[in-house]
Amino acid sequence: MNQDAKKLAASVYGRVNAPVVERCRLNFCTDLEKSVLMSNFERRGWHQVGPDDEWNFYWASTQTCRNLFSVESGYRMNDNQMINHFPNHYELSRKDLLVKNIKRYRKELEREGNPLAEKSEVVLHGGQVGTRYVHLDFVPITFVLPADYNMFVEEYRKSPQSTWIMKPCGKSQGTGIFLINKLSKLKKWSREAKAPFHPQLSKESYVISRYIDNPLLIGGKKFDLRLYVLITSFRPLKAYLFQLGFCRFCTVKYDTSVTELDNMYVHLTNVSVQKHGGDYNNIHGGKMSVQNLKLYLEGTRGKAVTDKLFAAMQWLIVHSLKAVSSVMANDRHCFECYGYDIIIDNQLKPWLVEVNASPSLTSTTVNDRILKYKLIDNILSVVLPPDGVPDVRWNKQPNPEALGNFDLLIDEELLEKDEPSSSIGKSIKNIKNRVT
Amino acid sequence: MESIKEENIHHTALKLAEEIKNLSIYKSFYSDIQKLVSSPNVKKEDFKQTLQQAMKEKGLETKLRNTIYHLVRAQNKQTKLDPLTTLSKASAQWEKRIHKSLNSMCSDLETSLAKLRPQSEQEEIAEKWQELSTYNLDLSKYRPVYAPKDFLEVLLTLSGYVPFTKDDEPKWEFAHLPLQVKSLDQLRKVYPEWASGELLLGANPEATLSAERAALGARVAALRYAPLAQEFLKRGSPHCLRAQLWAHVLGVELSTQQIAYFNKLKKNVLEVDLMIDKLIFKDVQLTASNDDQYFVFEDLLYQVMLCFSRDGEVLQQLKGSVGNPLTVTIKGKQTSLDSITVFPPSGIIPFHGFTMYATPFCYLYDDPVQLYYTFRAFYVRYWHRLHYISTHPQGIVSLCLLYERLLEANEPLLWIHFRNININPIRVVFKWLMRAFSGHLPPDQLLFLWDAILGYDCLDILPLLAVAILSFRKENIFQVNTIQNVDAVLADLSTISVVPLLQLALMKP
Repeated sequence: MNQDAKKLAASVYGRVNAPVVERCRLNFCTDLEKSVLMSNFERRGWHQVGPDDEWNFYWASTQTCRNLFSVESGYRMNDNQMINHFPNHYELSRKDLLVKNIKRYRKELEREGNPLAEKSEVVLHGGQVGTRYVHLDFVPITFVLPADYNMFVEEYRKSPQSTWIMKPCGKSQGTGIFLINKLSKLKKWSREAKAPFHPQLSKESYVISRYIDNPLLIGGKKFDLRLYVLITSFRPLKAYLFQLGFCRFCTVKYDTSVTELDNMYVHLTNVSVQKHGGDYNNIHGGKMSVQNLKLYLEGTRGKAVTDKLFAAMQWLIVHSLKAVSSVMANDRHCFECYGYDIIIDNQLKPWLVEVNASPSLTSTTVNDRILKYKLIDNILSVVLPPDGVPDVRWNKQPNPEALGNFDLLIDEELLEKDEPSSSIGKSIKNIKNRVT
Repeated sequence: MESIKEENIHHTALKLAEEIKNLSIYKSFYSDIQKLVSSPNVKKEDFKQTLQQAMKEKGLETKLRNTIYHLVRAQNKQTKLDPLTTLSKASAQWEKRIHKSLNSMCSDLETSLAKLRPQSEQEEIAEKWQELSTYNLDLSKYRPVYAPKDFLEVLLTLSGYVPFTKDDEPKWEFAHLPLQVKSLDQLRKVYPEWASGELLLGANPEATLSAERAALGARVAALRYAPLAQEFLKRGSPHCLRAQLWAHVLGVELSTQQIAYFNKLKKNVLEVDLMIDKLIFKDVQLTASNDDQYFVFEDLLYQVMLCFSRDGEVLQQLKGSVGNPLTVTIKGKQTSLDSITVFPPSGIIPFHGFTMYATPFCYLYDDPVQLYYTFRAFYVRYWHRLHYISTHPQGIVSLCLLYERLLEANEPLLWIHFRNININPIRVVFKWLMRAFSGHLPPDQLLFLWDAILGYDCLDILPLLAVAILSFRKENIFQVNTIQNVDAVLADLSTISVVPLLQLALMKP
C-alpha cells in the first residue's frame, strides 16, 4: 500500500472499525497491558480487576499460570473462569520437549503398525543412505546436548558437510543461537561453557538441529512463517488456524558461505534480531502476509505445489499437537494461542522450527497492529460461549460466525460424531489425502 | 459482389504479407518454413495441404496468426487523432518544464545528465547487480522530478481554458474539454460479460468456478494464441496461469535475441552513468522498498527499472505519443559520434511512483528478463497514456473526464456534496488513476483488475472503479468536509473486492 495512505490510515483507522459487541460485564485480569489486548477488553465493556479479585478471564504470563495451577497455591478455578495457557504448555513450547514428544509419538505409531509411521530410505547430504519417516518427517533432526551428544556425533558423521544450529532450550527471540559446521567448534564451545568463568552456561541444556541450509528464498532473502494456532482442548483435540499469518524476512541476502556463518542477520529471521540490523525498515518491519506469499507461489510456481505446501503445513501443525495431546494437562478452564515458526525449504517442504506459547503481542507496524488486534478479537470470540460468559460446561463448539479469521483445523469430537467407529484414523486420512 | 469481397481479402493478404516481410521475426520465420518444406512431411504432390498441416504441427501457424493479430491491432490503434491545439501546446510546455527541472537539478547537484562510469564503479555495480539495495548511493539531495499531484495541477489548467464559464460554476471541470467519453450504458456494452452477470473469478468464490476456469485456462494457455488468451482474461485468470496468459496476449516470447538485448541494456547501465539512475533508485526506495507487499522484490525492481531507462525500443514504439526527449553528450566518451545519447534512451522520465507500474509483475515472474518484457509490453500498450497529455480516448485526460461524467451522472448526491465542500472530486482519486491502482489495492485484487484491462483492451475500467469505490464509501464521505478527511476515508483500500464492486456497478439496471 502507498506510504502516505498508510500513515493516514494509521491515524484515522488504526483501530479496526468494529462495533461494540456483547455488553456483559466480565471481570478480566491481565499481566500484560498491551494495547491490542486492552482495546479488545475495553471494546467488550469488560471490567479490569486485580489477580486477587474475582476474575472471569485472565490473560496471564506463563509464569503466573504455572503458579496458579501449582499445588502450593491452592487456587481452584470456578466454572466461570478462563485462562490463556495450559499449565504444562512447555511440552510443546520448549524446544527439547517438543522434539522428545514428537519422537515418542512417532515410535508409538510405529509400534501400533500405523501406516502413518511408514519409513523409507533417503540419500543424505553426504551421499550416505538414512531412513526417514515418510509422513512425519517435519522437524529437522534434533538432539539435546549434552545428553544426546554421542547420538549427535553418530548422525553428524553421516554427513559431515552439513551445518547445525545450536539453540538454548529455555530462551527465545534468537538469543544464544549460533551455527556450527565443524565438530571441533562444538567441542570448543563445550569446553568454554564448562569453564569456571561461565558457570551459568554449564547448567543450561541446548538443542542441536540440522540447519535447513536450502531455504526457499524470495528476492534472494530468507524468511520464516509465523502462524497462529488456537487450542481450546487437547483431549479431544480442538484446534484452529488463523488465516492471517506473516512471513518474516531477513534484511540481508542469504549466503551459505562459511564467512557469513556468524552473521545472524543472514540466518535468523526473528524480528528481535533483525531490528538491530542497519537495513531494518520500520514501515513494513520485514513482514509480508501469508496471503501474498500464497499469491506469489501460485503465480510463479503453480497452484498444485502451493496447495500441497499449505496442506503440508496444516498436517505438520495437527501432528505436532497430537504428539503432545496425551501429556498435556487438559484443564477445561484453559485455552492457548501458539505462535508456530515454520521454515519452507526450496523443495517447498515446510519444517517446524519451534512453537511459542506467548507469541509477541507488540505491534511493530500498522498492519501488525491490525492483525494482532483481529487475532485477539477472534480468539475471544472462539473461546467464549455464545452468551459471552466463560463456562467450562460449554461444549466448545463455536458457531461458524464466531470463527472470524480462524479456520477449524481439527475437532476430534465432531469427527467422532461423524463416524463413531474410526474417528482419528479418518481425520488423519482426510488430511493425508490433501497432502499427497 | 462475392468476387469483390474476395479481391478485397486477397488485397489485404498481399498487404499484410508485405508488412510481415519488414518485421524482425521474418528472417527466422522464413528459414523455419524453408526447413519445414524440406522435411519429409511436406509432399510435393499436395504441397499446400501438407505444408499447412506441418505448420500447424510445428506451431508456426499460431505464430503467424499471433503476428497478424498484433500487426492489425497496432494499426487500428494508430488512427490519427484530431489534436486539440491547447492540449498539444500544454503537453509541450509541460515537457519543457520537466527538462528544465532536470537540468537545474543537475547544476544544483554539480553533476551531469550523462557521463561515463569510472571502471571501479562499473565493477562494483556489476558485482552487486543481484543486490543493488546494497549499492551505497547518497540520494538525500535527489527529489522526484514530479509527483501525481503536480501532474494533476497541469491537467487542471487544461480544463479551465474555456473562457465562458459562469461565475458560480466551478472552473475545474474537465467537461469543458471537447472530448467524447462513454456513458455508463455505453460502458455496459464494452463489458457485456460483466454487465450480464456472468460468473467471474474474483467475484464468485465457488470452488467449482475456479476449477472450471483453471481447466479451461490451462487449455487456452497451451494453445498460445493471443486473441483466445485475451478473450479468456475477460472473466479473470487463475493466479497460476496469469504469467503465461499475459505474455501470450502481449506477444511476449523470450528468445535468445531478447535475452541478449536485455544484457545489452544492462551493459549500458554499467557503462554510462545517467542522472536518471539516481532518480530510479530513489523512486524504488520511496515506493516499493517501503511497501509490505513489494519490499521483498526491491532488488529485482532496480534491475528492471534501470534497464527500462536504457531501452531505445520503447521510444521507437511510442514515437509521437511521448514527446521529444533531450539529447545530451556523455561526458568522458572519446569519439564524438557515439557520445551523443537520447536522455534517457527510453525517452521516459520517471515520476514519483513510476516503479509501481512494474511492481505487480513481481508476483508473476521470478526471472528479471521475463518480468522485464511483459512489463515493457504493458507499459507500451497502456501505462504511458496515464502520464502523458493527449486527446487519446484512453489517455489520462479522457479518463479524468470519464470519471467526472460517471460520478455526476450516477452519484449526483456525491457530486453535489463535493461541490458544496468545494473539493474537486478528481483530486481524491487522481493518484489511483495515474498509477492504475498499483500500490493502492492489494496485489491479488490489482491483478484481477489488470486482467480486465488486458481482456477488454481498455482502460475505462480505472475511472469506473474509482467511482464505484466512492459510491461504496459514500456514507462516510457525506460525513466529512475537508480534503484530508475525504482522503482518510479513501486511504485504506485493503478491504476492497474489485471484481464484485465493478460488476455491481455495471449490472445495475
